[in-house]
Amino acid sequence: MNASQMQPLTAKELEYISDSISNEEMLLKMTAAASAVSQNPSVQSVISRQISAHEQHMNQLIQALSQHQPLAPAQAH
Amino acid sequence: MTPTSQSQHMNLLPEEDLLNFILADLKRTVREYTTATTESSCPSVRQMFTQLTDSTLQLQGQLYQLMSSQNMYSAPSKASRTEIDKKLQEAQQTQQKLQQFTQQRTSQFGGNVQASQPNAQPNVGNRTYS
Repeated sequence: MNASQMQPLTAKELEYISDSISNEEMLLKMTAAASAVSQNPSVQSVISRQISAHEQHMNQLIQALSQHQPLAPAQAH
Repeated sequence: MTPTSQSQHMNLLPEEDLLNFILADLKRTVREYTTATTESSCPSVRQMFTQLTDSTLQLQGQLYQLMSSQNMYSAPSKASRTEIDKKLQEAQQTQQKLQQFTQQRTSQFGGNVQASQPNAQPNVGNRTYS
């Protein structure tokens, strides 16, 4: 991510990132549950790739929060 | 069979139901990522949400294809040729009227607008998006 493109997060952006983390959490849990249930190799193969993708999404969202943390004002304006 | 192995084989939800839940949630999450993209002010946040939208669309597409191939999802019925013909004629009429509309309104500014290229995108590179 280009550091020069980074601006402090707006309250709205923070809400969207936070909601997105909840969404990814639920998707990850449901996909892991499907993996435990399924005996079908085709389903297992797709599901296991999807678990990795959701883990990566979660990392991206957390990284965005962490990268924007130093730019945030101490008090909300 | 021991109680542990019994519980291992007793699933709370069948596989097909679980996959349907995941598919529905992927569709909802794509919509939320799209909205988040359009509401982003910071370019790096917008870029992240754009990537997440694209990646989640791919996951939804993969899961749909899988479910379809396993006969877990019945696709909606096919549109008839008559229905398509009707929509096509309507769209062509709309397009003609639009061309006239655009030409009438742009000719007074020297006709400098790309009316003949409906897909041409104006340069929006430096705009804010919120």
